[in-house]
Amino acid sequence: MQNVTEQPSAKAMPLLKRAKDNFGSLVTLIVLAALPFVVALYDGQSLSSLLANEAGSSKFVQGFVIEILILGIFALSYDLIFGITGMLSFGHAMFFAVGAYLTGIMIKSFGWSLWATLGLVLAAGVLQALLFGIVLPRVKGITFALVTLGMASVFYIVIQAREFGEYTGADVGLQGVIAPDFLNPSTQRLRFYFIVVALTVLIYLLYKRFVTSPTGRVCVAIRENEGRARMLGYNTFYFKLAALTLSSITAALAGALHTLHQPIVTPNVAAMSFTVSALLMILIGGVGTLNGALVGAAVLRLLQFGLSKYFSESASFISGAIYVAIVLFVPYGIVGTWRLKRFERQKGWENLLKLMGVGKRKE
Amino acid sequence: MDNILEVHDIHTNIRQYHILQGVTVSVPRGSITALLGRNGAGKTTTLKSILGLTPPSQGKVIFDGRELRGMRSFDIAALGIGFVPEHRAIFRDLSVAENLKIAERRKGDLARKQEMIFTLFPDLKRLIHLPGTHLSGGQQQMLAIARALVPDNRVLLIDEPSEGLAPVIIEHMIAAIRQLSADSTVLLVEQNFIVASQLAESYVIIEEGRSVKDGKMADLVNDPQTIQRYLGAA
Repeated sequence: MQNVTEQPSAKAMPLLKRAKDNFGSLVTLIVLAALPFVVALYDGQSLSSLLANEAGSSKFVQGFVIEILILGIFALSYDLIFGITGMLSFGHAMFFAVGAYLTGIMIKSFGWSLWATLGLVLAAGVLQALLFGIVLPRVKGITFALVTLGMASVFYIVIQAREFGEYTGADVGLQGVIAPDFLNPSTQRLRFYFIVVALTVLIYLLYKRFVTSPTGRVCVAIRENEGRARMLGYNTFYFKLAALTLSSITAALAGALHTLHQPIVTPNVAAMSFTVSALLMILIGGVGTLNGALVGAAVLRLLQFGLSKYFSESASFISGAIYVAIVLFVPYGIVGTWRLKRFERQKGWENLLKLMGVGKRKE
Repeated sequence: MDNILEVHDIHTNIRQYHILQGVTVSVPRGSITALLGRNGAGKTTTLKSILGLTPPSQGKVIFDGRELRGMRSFDIAALGIGFVPEHRAIFRDLSVAENLKIAERRKGDLARKQEMIFTLFPDLKRLIHLPGTHLSGGQQQMLAIARALVPDNRVLLIDEPSEGLAPVIIEHMIAAIRQLSADSTVLLVEQNFIVASQLAESYVIIEEGRSVKDGKMADLVNDPQTIQRYLGAA
């Protein structure tokens, strides 16, 4: 009997089919790759000037997109634990802040190389996931959210403490972190831009692979009903810990990129408001959709930028109203709603083609 | 007859409530046993106590000679006890194929069982790539039972399989449960006495958290007084 329940493996899947499945990612990648050149062309900037990272609209846009993508990676990591696995954490900002502060401190105060620093950041990512993992079997739901908030709050207080001010910059934040020459966002912006684009695409594809893997499907099952997943014989703790670890490493990496890109790391990146912004990004994009996290990051950052430019004083009020409107009127988020309507759109197209006499006839 | 599952005088508390106050059930190997009783008698809690979801505070649960009390629910499931909860508890965000695949305990379980599953529930083959949300109530119940058939379970605990289903679907469900009992033992909770009497060979009646009567189903069917007294049906 033909095995109808097996999905075709990645190897067996024809290249064209894989390209079709990842059409959106491919288009986004092409757009992002072309963006600096298109903006430079529009601005009348020469190619040599663009490659020499001279000031201009293209350089500004690159910096802006880097910010969006770093936020997007952070939101993606939150979508994995909240949107996919169903763990509501209020301490997610700590994952990002640990990466950001460690990168800054090791490079600035201890003169570590970038690679050694990134190694430490990844190790710290695993450690903080294990720290959250200690409470995983004992608490869930809102209690888990509050415990993680407590842990993140301790970290938020510690990085602002005067005793560590020499390293963390206390409540002012960490200033003057100089990125290595080959990755300096001032002199090598275009290179930094392409590295961040490539990392975002890689992380997104890795997440997509994780979510569609058997482990990822168990995570989705846990989100829906953990008890049922346990009754199938799954020790759900390990699956939640796996999601938490991947998420923590990714968020810490986003934090490291943030420090390399920005000249300053403020304690705000460890505050609860930063976790809320991750939540907001995935609510705008669509909870549990993965690419919605990136869309949400773009919408959030563009809104912040546009509103502060045109409504400087009332920008926060207007952005708040817009977020409320999005959550109320697009409850599944932009990507979530798009996916929900896809079936209706397909039906609509089929009917239209049938009416025009060019539709496929079903035997 | 040799019993694969034995529950001895279990007591279970849920918060401050003493729900089970002495339930004893013996499930003979290779048979269908029905847990009967009125709403709120403690039938579902008995199943959950066996599975460790509401762990009993007293008594013994012996599965194939092994004490289950104190074990974690996923370890109990891994011993070969499948559970089909009430309310068609499938994973609605996963497709039919994924719902079946996730139930594999060993690689290849589904490939070995899919022919049997699709013979029992042909609808599922047709709907294989559809998400659980798109299935009707009957199809969801079929999927919930099919999912318990994927691994090599030695005992299936099925909670209210006919609840809220149309008569024609119930007929189909009865045929499916009868067929699957050829390979494994079934402990069935069923409110509908007609369905239970068509399926089970033996019964245990639970009333107010206590097992009050047990025996052969054939004897109970011919005992309208007991049926009226404990089940409220004639």
